[in-house]
Amino acid sequence: MKRHLTEEELIEHQFKLASDEQAVGRAEHLAGCAECRERLEQLGQKFAALDLLAEDIPASEELISQAIAQAKHPAPRRIVPFGKYHWIGTAAAVLVVGFVLMMGNLNKQAATRRESAETSKSEAGRSASLPQVEEEPEMMLVAKELADESATMLEEALVSRQTARKSAAAPPVADTASPTDKFGTDPTSRPDTPTEADLYAYAPGRGPAPDTAGTRPVRLPTLEQEVDLKDAPEFGTQLAATVRRKLAGAEISEEPPFAPASAIELVTLPRRDDVQLTIYNSADLTLVREKRNLTLKQGWNWLQLMWANTLIDPTSLSLEPAAQAGKIDVQQLVFPARLRELGRWLIRSEISGQVPFEITYFTSGLSWRAFYMGTLSQDEKTMRLAGYVRVANNSGEDYENAQTRLLVGKVNVLDKIADLAKRQYAYDRPGMDTAGDDYDVSQWGFQAKNGDKVPLLGDVPIVGELFRAGDLKPKEIKKEGLSEYFLYTIEGTETIPDKWGKRLPSFDVEDIDIESLYKYDEQRWSKQAIRFVSFTNDDEHNLGETPIPDGTVKIYGQAGEQGELSYVGGASIKYIPVDEEVELNLGPARLVKVEPKLMSFETDNYVFDNRGNVAGWDEIRTWRIEITNTRALPIEIEITRGFGTAYWKLVLVDVASRAEDAISYEKHDATHARFTLKRRPNSKWTFGYAVTTYHGRRQGQVSE
Amino acid sequence: MEETDKNLIDAHLQGDREAFGELVRRYGDSLLGYLTKICRNREQAKDLFQETFKRVHEKAHTLRSNQFKSWLYTIATRVAMDGLRRDNRVRMVSLNQQIDCDGDNCPELGAVAVAADCDDPSQEASKAEQKELVRRAVESLPDRQRATLVLAYYQGLSYREVATALDCSIGTVKTQMFRALRTLAQRLPDISGVAK
Repeated sequence: MKRHLTEEELIEHQFKLASDEQAVGRAEHLAGCAECRERLEQLGQKFAALDLLAEDIPASEELISQAIAQAKHPAPRRIVPFGKYHWIGTAAAVLVVGFVLMMGNLNKQAATRRESAETSKSEAGRSASLPQVEEEPEMMLVAKELADESATMLEEALVSRQTARKSAAAPPVADTASPTDKFGTDPTSRPDTPTEADLYAYAPGRGPAPDTAGTRPVRLPTLEQEVDLKDAPEFGTQLAATVRRKLAGAEISEEPPFAPASAIELVTLPRRDDVQLTIYNSADLTLVREKRNLTLKQGWNWLQLMWANTLIDPTSLSLEPAAQAGKIDVQQLVFPARLRELGRWLIRSEISGQVPFEITYFTSGLSWRAFYMGTLSQDEKTMRLAGYVRVANNSGEDYENAQTRLLVGKVNVLDKIADLAKRQYAYDRPGMDTAGDDYDVSQWGFQAKNGDKVPLLGDVPIVGELFRAGDLKPKEIKKEGLSEYFLYTIEGTETIPDKWGKRLPSFDVEDIDIESLYKYDEQRWSKQAIRFVSFTNDDEHNLGETPIPDGTVKIYGQAGEQGELSYVGGASIKYIPVDEEVELNLGPARLVKVEPKLMSFETDNYVFDNRGNVAGWDEIRTWRIEITNTRALPIEIEITRGFGTAYWKLVLVDVASRAEDAISYEKHDATHARFTLKRRPNSKWTFGYAVTTYHGRRQGQVSE
Repeated sequence: MEETDKNLIDAHLQGDREAFGELVRRYGDSLLGYLTKICRNREQAKDLFQETFKRVHEKAHTLRSNQFKSWLYTIATRVAMDGLRRDNRVRMVSLNQQIDCDGDNCPELGAVAVAADCDDPSQEASKAEQKELVRRAVESLPDRQRATLVLAYYQGLSYREVATALDCSIGTVKTQMFRALRTLAQRLPDISGVAK
């Protein structure tokens, strides 16, 4: 390479960005070219400046602790690819085949039925003493419920067969078919209680072999046919098919269940898939819209929602299917007695499977507020204004990847959401007479229309009577007056965990023309000048795209050659619509002083009435006002003087001769005059005026 | 013997919280420096720092190789780019940084503090000024170029690792790096005579 290397080539060489071939050629050139070596060295020195920023920034212990605290939940485990373990699929297939064979071998199960029946009394007795089952924490799968249902039907059929058989061939045993225990729940429905189906269907080896009495015909009430146990394999197949047919074509009862028969029937809310927050700044109010996929079974479903330790307003809960709306009917939201901070929706579904639902509710504890930072230019003629919003979450609920909207405007809320959320019961206490004459809840229960007393928990003999449309008259919360608002939508989504806050940029506008003005008005701010900065929220001032929400403003000035920032003052601003002027009160000015002095006072022009009493007079006051500007910038100041009467006349006196010092005044209102003047940097100046005020009859004379 | 990053991740997946803490401490300083250089704003860098380690925690099970560092910077870069993309509507520059920042960790105050404490105040003041100029030069680069420069130059990642972190080819990395350096060659101050 005969020519010298360019700067780009030297950069590529220095940072090893060139291809190998190019690098070799350039290295050879550099070896023989002192000039290029020198330029390379200079370039290296220049890039050495980058090392000034090379040091790491130490992460504070607090920051590290916060980061570690995020890992308090167990890390998600590695997902093992199913394809690597073919035996799992094989095992599943074996299980399925086994199940089919089991269905076909009911005759073997019959061998153990008698002994099982004899032992069932003790089993039932044991199960009756078991504590009430705990509610399952997560959503129960429909498949499980369907399996439970089919097992129950099979079980009923088998129990009937077994009972009929016992009556003919075995000595009578104690009654084991009692449907409920002392808790009012069916023991067989408990997951931890061995069911009859367990005992018969899944314990073929238990007990002695059956006798041959199985050849007797047995009546199956559910299938309404007689089956000889010799034909049991075929019967098993038929029974399974019948159950399947029954399940597939089952009619949904029109009568809604009063309450879930057991905790296992409950579906608890799964994780949310999507969430939108609309946070109001005028009230402690946030509208939450969530989307969750619920798995429903055909028929009646109970969906349980708990809001303990949150600030959700339970009276605002709403649930709507986002799909299949015609086949799903959300009938009612029930707040069971003695169960605090939970509600249960009763949903009638004509389909089975996953359905997206939209849940909306109000919560408190989420808030946002705007704040602004203004930086004045050195000549204080322009300002840079940056707006931020700070969103804080103290609602007790984590919101992940939430679409966040901020609403500006007045909302009239009749009840404070926080108060509603803190109630133990959503709508007053159970037993309070709030719902009309249909309720007689003197003893923690309802009086049904037919006169029967119905307990609030447990199995209920009468269903459908109590919760017909119109019976529940929940108190309405009126959230109204949603008008004249402006909605800010934060781009993308935000994750705002509970107890966290987040600051987000809203806008940042340079070169806003401002007017800086000092004001002096003793009646408003006593004897001190107040500094104001004003601008207009319009296009001319590079603003005006949106209203500016109320918030606090901090103003910084630039001082020194390097323009270091210094805090000048702060102010609160109200909601500023587009094209409205903003005036920021930055507080008392320390470098601008206004000192009025009363120089003389006299009275004149007395008027007397017929009796010789004073009926009118003039008062003449002469004032001298000294203005001191110790700032390095010229200032404009507005001095307002009040006279306590609408009858006054003002004459300037002692005015400096120079033209730039000329002042003028205007009548600000009936009782005030306002002087506006500009002062040079680092100057002191005085001006005077004499004001004559008219009293009594003199007022009338002056008016004429 | 110091545990490898991979061992720590594995321990973390087994529920060992100490292991995750060790990773945060091991890479905290350099990551915070990286994020601060990328997003130009200290407060935002702290937010992104939290977000990065949150994702590390959540995605730890997806780490297959032993390249934890480049994986960490991949996450950090994505988090930072998301943040910058959000902020590109309006660039967020903290005007109260001098008030909010915590003493030595604040670039501006740190520079002033150095100038006040050193033996040769004039030289240190000059250094602080040079540092500010360098900072501005780096911050003036487009996001992608700045990320490439910071990863390759300050964080010491190879071009291959940078390509992984930025999810692009090595050629793209080199192009971005070259453009960044070419711009900086025009904008960097001459620091000859200033102690580093």
